[in-house]
Amino acid sequence: MSTHELNRAKLALAAAGALPQEELLQVEQHARQCPVCLRELEVWSVYARGLGQLPQPTLPLGLVARTQAKVLSERADAADRRRDAVMLGFLAAFSWASSVAFWVVARALTGGVLEAFGTNWVGAVPWFLASALLAWMTAAAAAITLGRRREIRRTL
Amino acid sequence: MGLFCTLVRIRYMILAASMNLDELGAVEDSLTRLKEGDLDALASVMAQYQHRLYRFLFRLAQDPTLADDLFQQTWLRVMERIGRYDARRQFAPWLFSVARNLAIDTLRQGRLASLDAVEDSGVAPIDRLAAAERDPLEQLLEFERGAALVSALAELPVIHREVLTLRFEEEMKLEQIAEVIDVPLSTVKSRLTRALEGLRGRLR
Repeated sequence: MSTHELNRAKLALAAAGALPQEELLQVEQHARQCPVCLRELEVWSVYARGLGQLPQPTLPLGLVARTQAKVLSERADAADRRRDAVMLGFLAAFSWASSVAFWVVARALTGGVLEAFGTNWVGAVPWFLASALLAWMTAAAAAITLGRRREIRRTL
Repeated sequence: MGLFCTLVRIRYMILAASMNLDELGAVEDSLTRLKEGDLDALASVMAQYQHRLYRFLFRLAQDPTLADDLFQQTWLRVMERIGRYDARRQFAPWLFSVARNLAIDTLRQGRLASLDAVEDSGVAPIDRLAAAERDPLEQLLEFERGAALVSALAELPVIHREVLTLRFEEEMKLEQIAEVIDVPLSTVKSRLTRALEGLRGRLR
């Protein structure tokens, strides 16, 4: 590629102010000696000027206020979700702690044997399974209640 | 011609310097408060960037409704991710990068912008002219040139529109553009050249 072609390829970037100082000087120096490139640089400069002065779109009325309201509402929803998650976590922990405590008490009161339907209900496995079932049912009920409450708040 | 390039550089320097230091400090302070979760700081950060951000999104989307939607989504995303913003870096490239990613994702999903959306912006050309103070004929000619450029710009691919608007309207350096669109500097240069050539080709 000749010097002319190399410099010509950089004319658009030169007009866009997007060349390093050294390259810009080379391009300008070449353009001073080459009428074709000088003319081309002038044309690109017109485009560069024009692009910097385009008709501006107008910010729609109320857009900023609507955006701020949306951000606030989204923040409130996120805070609710966090609070609900903490609440559910606490309930789950409480449920398991109660279950273990009751198990210890039940074993102490029954001497470790509470037979019914051929199962020792104060044995570790049946107690664990029954507690898990109870915990899942409670969690589902809590999740449904919290979901409904959030739905009502959103409607309001 | 060297004079023009020098004038362009001087203009950028004056623009950079014209940003009041107090104003910069206030924005930094607001950003710090925003990072700490203070929602009151959002208003001042938005006030600083709202016009630039909307203009950028409008150029990308070419549709006022879509730009409106993207504007709201951008601030929601900013609030989600403000904790990840590195306060040692400039906020504008980070903000524009968030906005750009949302816009590109939305445009990829097929909500393509209408090419004649510029005329639907709700602002009559006469209103734009009335805001200026020069000779009406000169303004009209300039407006027509501007409208032709906007129209040609709208026909360019979005990856070319974004570099043109970031360079000429946001007056970002190439390094900042590379940060916004997440490509190497050489790609920014080649896209800028192709974008200018594409624009010129459409105006011939």
